[in-house]
This record gives sequence, C-alpha cells and structure tokens, in this order.
Amino acid sequence: MSATRIIWMFVSFFLIVLLCSTAGCSSGVQQPKTVLKVVPAGSLLQPFDEVEKAFEAQHPGVDVQIEGHGSIQAIRQVTDLHRPIDVVAVADASLIPDLMFRTDPTTGANFTDTYTPFARNAMVIAFTNKSKYADEITPENWYQVLSRPDVRVGISNPMLDAAGYRSIMVALLADRYYQNATLFPVLIGSHFTPPLGPQVTAGVATVTLPEVLRPSDEKLVIRDGSIFVLSNLEAGGIDYAFEYQSVAEGHDLRWVSLPPEVDLSSPDYAGEYGKVRVILGFQRFSAIGQDRTGQPIVYAVTIPNNAPNRELAQEFADVVVQKAKIGGKGWPALLN
Amino acid sequence: MHRGDHYPRPAYPEAFVVIRTATGICILLILLCCCAGCTGTAPASSPQPVTSSADDFSTWNLTVNGTTQSVYTLDKIRKLPATTGNGFAVSTVGIKYGPYTCKGVLLSDLLTLSGGISPGDQAWISAPDGYLWVFDYEQVQGKGFITFNEDLKEIPSPPLEILLMYEQDGKPLSYNDGGPLRVAIISDEKGVVTEGSAWVKWVDKIEIKKK
Repeated sequence: MSATRIIWMFVSFFLIVLLCSTAGCSSGVQQPKTVLKVVPAGSLLQPFDEVEKAFEAQHPGVDVQIEGHGSIQAIRQVTDLHRPIDVVAVADASLIPDLMFRTDPTTGANFTDTYTPFARNAMVIAFTNKSKYADEITPENWYQVLSRPDVRVGISNPMLDAAGYRSIMVALLADRYYQNATLFPVLIGSHFTPPLGPQVTAGVATVTLPEVLRPSDEKLVIRDGSIFVLSNLEAGGIDYAFEYQSVAEGHDLRWVSLPPEVDLSSPDYAGEYGKVRVILGFQRFSAIGQDRTGQPIVYAVTIPNNAPNRELAQEFADVVVQKAKIGGKGWPALLN
Repeated sequence: MHRGDHYPRPAYPEAFVVIRTATGICILLILLCCCAGCTGTAPASSPQPVTSSADDFSTWNLTVNGTTQSVYTLDKIRKLPATTGNGFAVSTVGIKYGPYTCKGVLLSDLLTLSGGISPGDQAWISAPDGYLWVFDYEQVQGKGFITFNEDLKEIPSPPLEILLMYEQDGKPLSYNDGGPLRVAIISDEKGVVTEGSAWVKWVDKIEIKKK
C-alpha cells in the first residue's frame, strides 16, 4: 500500500468521525429555538402550562419559558427590573394601566399601551374530605362553620398575593351581607395582637394590616403563596382556605361557592365590592401604593412595548384568549 | 551555521511519517471546523452574561439608620466579622433557589453598630429597585419564620439567622444574584428552605424603626 493511500484512508476515517460527532451540533446551532418569555400570575400557572404545550406543538422552533410570580411582581419584571419579557398576564387587570401606562425611561415609550381582559374568577372556600365538618358545610352556612373555634382557616399573605387581600375583602363583605358584625373579627381580625378591626368611614369598611402579619393563635394560618396554603390544606394543617375557584378546581379540591355579593366575581356588584378596602402594612414596591379597594376579579394579558418577540407574543396572547373562552380544568371563568 | 548540523533529523520509519502526516491533516480539519463556529456558539436568546460593569460595586454603599447613621462601602462590610451558613429560598409559586453556602454579616451585628434593636422595633430593608421588606424584632433574632424541607413540606424551624450576604458558594455575589449585598436566611442545617419574599436583593438601606 502506498504512503498516499494510507494518508487518504486516515483522512477519510477522521472526516467520517468528525461529521458524525458534529451532526447534532450543527442542527442545534444553525436553528436555535426562539425563547418566548411569559410571566403569568401564580393562579394562571396550570392553564398556561396547557397553552405552552399547545403553542410549542404549533411552533417547533419556539421554546416558551413560563415564570410565575405574584401579579405585581410579574409587572415589576418589566417596569422595575427591566427584563426582556414577551407576555405578562395578571390576576388584577387594573394593575396594568396603573403600573405600565407610564414612560419607560430606557425607551421613552410607555411600558405598554394596551391590554386584553380575558377571564374572571370568584373567591370560594376550598376544603378536603379531611376538613372538620366537611359534610356539613354549604353555600348558606359556610361562615358559621368557619367561625367554629376548632376550625382552622388559611389565607395567602396579602402583602404578596392578590388572593390574600381578596380573602380579607371577602370576610369584610360577608360581614355586611350577613349583617353580622362579629364575622370579620371571628374569621380574621381577632387572631392578631392587637386585633384588626375595620374602620367604617362614609360607608367604606377599611382594614389596616400590620407590617408583619403573624397571627397570634393557630386558628388563622397565613402563608406566602397559595400553593403553601393548599399544601397545608391537603396535609390537614388547616380545614378551609379562601381561594380562587379556578385554583380549587385545578387542585381537585372540594369547595363551596359564596354569594355573588361577597365573592368578587360579578361586575353587577362592583359598587358593593368598592365598599371594602385593605391597606397593606407597608409599601413593598415603591411603584404602587398600599391601598387595595374591592373590585371584580378580572384577568388580563399584555405585551410590553419592548418585548423581544412581539409577533409571537401576540400569537401567544391570542391563544390564551381563545383557550380562556373554551375553559377547562384550572382556567378562570369566561369573561362575559 | 545550519541548524541541522547540531540537531540532525532522526531517521523515522516510513510508516511513522505517513501516520504523522495524516494525523496532522486531520487536526487541521478539526480546527477549521471549530473556527467555523460548529462547536458551541450560544443561542442568541441565551441569558445575558454578567457584565463587568454591573459587577463594579465601587460606587455602592449601604446606609444603616438607627440611633446613629453608618455608611459602609463593600470593603468596609467585608472587614466586619463574617458568618457563614446554609441558605435555601422558595418563591411564592414554589420555585426553589439554592441551596447556597452564604457568607456575610449578620443583620443583628449591623443593627448593634447603629444603636441596636429592642422588642417591638422593626428593621426596614430596602433596595434601589423599589423593593422593601420589614422584619420585626423576633425575626431579627431568627424566630417566627416558616420553614420547609427540600420537598417543601413544612418543618419545625431550626435556629435561623438573617444574613446580609456578599459571598455565595465561595464567590462574590454577582449583580444578577442580588449583589453586592442580599438578605439570606441561614441555618447551620442543610436543606432548610425559607420563604423567598424576605430575601431582598441589592440591599442599600436598612432603617431601624422604633416602637
């Protein structure tokens, strides 16, 4: 065998090995997936998981990355932390005009100029078969069951979670609806030292929360987020939790509905909801005040003006709106 | 003078010369492929690397307002007695961050240097991004926190401490991780997870609010 032939055999062998080893590499590098960064409120994580799968199936070149936060924190990813986010979806539509219809100093344009309301929700009382009096509780007697001394109740932290301050609003609205002024103290107010009592001025009941929310007894349990309240419920640490209806359904929990005058679900009662107010213990974010007034729960989606992938983001938002109309497990209700 | 006169070429066998030549050609081919960008160019959508300017903390300082006001540069903070412990946080939606080995200065030590904290007082800790968190006296003593195991099941709280962390896993805390100074709730035990809302990033102000 000649020297030239040996050289060419070696070269051919190495080339084959090289081609095999870089085959995967080439396809990965030449066609990188476009990352679509989506930041939804925590109560949307389950339905958005469904949207992610459907969207990626329709767009093989797109990697949808979902990062859940509380609604305000979700918006802050864009407005305060200046992260390149494609889609923001929140559990309180009013936060978008409040926090994003203002100038982004880095671009000179507003953070966003539009948003699309796409769903509504209702507060319910979630429970399990292990909950005390699970076979007794009904939509009519729920507040009497929760008032019993041996029943433990959970809410998420109003400082961190819209569902938390909405739980306090529900207790205040129940006070009015059932004309039972002891209801709010028994459910929430008397479990702090000093007790939290609503101040009623011009027909509006206002509760001012302390800076550090630490209940003084074991009847009331407060955790940072809904998932920790629900894991407590499922473990038997609490008997009942104030929760969004969609989240209770999504977790296969039992739940009782509340009167529409109380559950923050209906635009028909917006005036009634506006008669309760929660003032948070401190201004956690400089961008938004401490004052929360009751209003119907409406979800909304927006695309920040500096979204890296605007067209894809719009497609994703459209899928969210379409799927919300169809509904399903874990989806908040259709917006009328 | 010819170099060959001092370093005569050895008389290699022909087969060796052939193999050496072939190998050389192959190495050249591999290098050409690598230079063409075949091996590991980061996707355009990868997270931005930490920039050196973001991690330049030379103009940063921490202000602690108590009965006296103290202003610290990062160097001054690093010269205070340091504590190291295990930190592990979870977000409100259940995303875990850590575990970390955290090194820094105890909040209680910093407060003592500015007049101290008494029962009923609070420590307000804030950052330039507009975030604020409040700790009460009990929490400054390491009490009153909710703790979880690594599976996020609630566990009784072991002894905890609030740290102003400037080093994470043996490296200076980067801006992307909340540097130069971030709150961390630490324990001697590993695998103790605490609620992340208290882990304030980019801390630049601590205020003692008297009862």
